Amino acid sequence: MISLRNIEKVYRTDTVETLALSRISLDIAQGEFLSIMGPSGCGKSTLLNIMGLLDAPTKGDLQINKQRTTDLSDKALAQFRNKILGFIFQSYHLINDLKVLDNVELPLLYRNCNAKERKELATEALGKVGLSNRIKHFPNQLSGGQKQRVAIARAIVGRPEIILADEPTGNLDSAMGNEIMDILLDLNKREGTTIVMVTHDENMARKTHRLVRLFDGSQVQ
Amino acid sequence: MVKHLFTLIWNKKKQNALLLSEILVSFLVLFAVFSMLVYFYHNYKKPAGFKCEQVWAVSYNQSFAESNTDSVVQYYDAVKQLLLSLPQVRSVSLASSNLPYFQRTIQYGIKQNAISVNNVNSYDIEDSYAAILGLQIMEGRWFDKSDITFKNKPIVINNSLKQRLFGNGKAIGELIGDGPDKDKRKVIGVVQDPKFDGDYTGAGLASFSRIDTGNIRWVGNMLIEVAPGADAAFEAKLYKVLANSMKNGNVEIEYLTNKRKSINYFALVPMIILSIISSFLIVNVALGLFGVLWYNINKRRGEIGLRRAIGASGKSISVQLVTESMLLACLALMIGSFFAIQFPLLNVFDLPAGIYLSALLLAIIFVYMLVLVCSLYPGKQAAAIYPAAALHED
Ligand SMILES: Nc1ncnc2c1ncn2[C@@H]1O[C@H](COP(=O)(O)OP(=O)(O)OP(=O)(O)O)[C@@H](O)[C@H]1O
Ligand SMILES: [Mg+2]
Repeated sequence: MISLRNIEKVYRTDTVETLALSRISLDIAQGEFLSIMGPSGCGKSTLLNIMGLLDAPTKGDLQINKQRTTDLSDKALAQFRNKILGFIFQSYHLINDLKVLDNVELPLLYRNCNAKERKELATEALGKVGLSNRIKHFPNQLSGGQKQRVAIARAIVGRPEIILADEPTGNLDSAMGNEIMDILLDLNKREGTTIVMVTHDENMARKTHRLVRLFDGSQVQ
Repeated sequence: MVKHLFTLIWNKKKQNALLLSEILVSFLVLFAVFSMLVYFYHNYKKPAGFKCEQVWAVSYNQSFAESNTDSVVQYYDAVKQLLLSLPQVRSVSLASSNLPYFQRTIQYGIKQNAISVNNVNSYDIEDSYAAILGLQIMEGRWFDKSDITFKNKPIVINNSLKQRLFGNGKAIGELIGDGPDKDKRKVIGVVQDPKFDGDYTGAGLASFSRIDTGNIRWVGNMLIEVAPGADAAFEAKLYKVLANSMKNGNVEIEYLTNKRKSINYFALVPMIILSIISSFLIVNVALGLFGVLWYNINKRRGEIGLRRAIGASGKSISVQLVTESMLLACLALMIGSFFAIQFPLLNVFDLPAGIYLSALLLAIIFVYMLVLVCSLYPGKQAAAIYPAAALHED
């Protein structure tokens, strides 16, 4: 499903050069639930961004669904992100000026999908995360856990094959965190969605199929 | 997508209100300036309706003893004979004080059946006047000797007045006025509108009547057509001749061509000043617009990153932002047009509706261009935002 070969990422600023990732090789199978752990600044988000085509590796090769992504055009990458990938972020990244339903519909705006279909799919996705009664709310009228559930609904509304989650429970207390985790586990089990999740929580990581540990940009487990 | 953007604009109505009012104000200023420019142009491209080359205007004061009108007529006949005996003088006409380009007005109103027309300029002149100024006869004829005997005093009107009184109907031979029939005036001719107030000002309504024994004693002006090559030396000579004939007359001679130059100048200067002021204003608005859009885009980096992450290409981001400002411009223009359309509807300045509509169209196009230009660059910058970096920030 996802295959990384000798991925290297160097951030260059005027003064320093940071080696954020070095020689990462990783294969993630379809239907796998993988977690990534490691100390702060070790390159977890960087790795996830590269898998999510939000950032390009400095060196190395990335394949998603057997498709080499390193030489795709901006438009093709956008299509890829839209159809194959779903993102969940620690800070939710909801658009505060849009109602919950409009937020969830967003990915469908970037593909051929009429208003009625969009509404149906978004309502269905919100149902899956248990937020059917909040669709007319604005994000700042919701709790953190609810916001993250909206973000999950947005990530799954387009039925992506892969979900990339960067510390999805990082801003939540453990009860809320467990709720989110249950939704992801359920998604993985029932729909076979491949999930890659960055986490700081050993308990969460233990519930997944496989754990990858990073240290200073390198894979140590 | 457009509906989505409308939702977004609506939900952010507070932030957008500033931008919207900025666009609205610039639209209204542009509408005012364009109305004026279009009006000026509209007047400018109309024919002058007369010529002023080789025509000199003479002003003087001459008082006559009350009783004897015949002697006044004789006096003027003698003066005209004297002037015409000069080889450089081709033609002379006494005239009321509202000479072309002198910006003096003598106006009256006409009631004609159900129609009431105000601000009609009244010119008292002699038969030679039309030839001196080259007035263009459109219908009927100009005055001649035969007009001395009349049942109804003859009158020549300009085309605008004819349109107001008779539309496209027949004017020649019609009587105008609302008194008893014997006091009515008979239309004998229609002339093309002469632009007596300069090239940039509309001709207005005009009627011409012969100077007769009733009013000749009050005349204080004449137009003299001179031969080409009549120069300052001749002007001095003419002055001497006139001053001799008119003791204590305060004779003044002016070239109509000079009067025209200065009247056009005084029409253009405010227009130029206004245009300069408004271009400063527009530049200001453009910078403001640019600044607000730029600021908005930087404030929305998170949103832009997110949109990229869920499937927007760089191009669709910039298209979105440009479309958003264009939609906002649409709203502002709808409100602005509502106000602008009141001018022709309520006939605020008595200008033809076509002038307002052209100005409206120009202002709309201009505002769209302005908003487009001001949002293209910020939009392009937004497209270049790196999604990972934008998402990383907050
Ligand atoms: N845009 C950037 N420019 C320069 N350096 C960067 C940039 N983004 C990340 N880095 C650096 O790359 C390294 C890895 O960052 P990354 O965000 O991947 O860490 P992380 O493992 O996700 O940390 P955390 O657990 O705190 O989120 C860090 O040293 C960071 O300073
Ligand atoms: Mg991180």
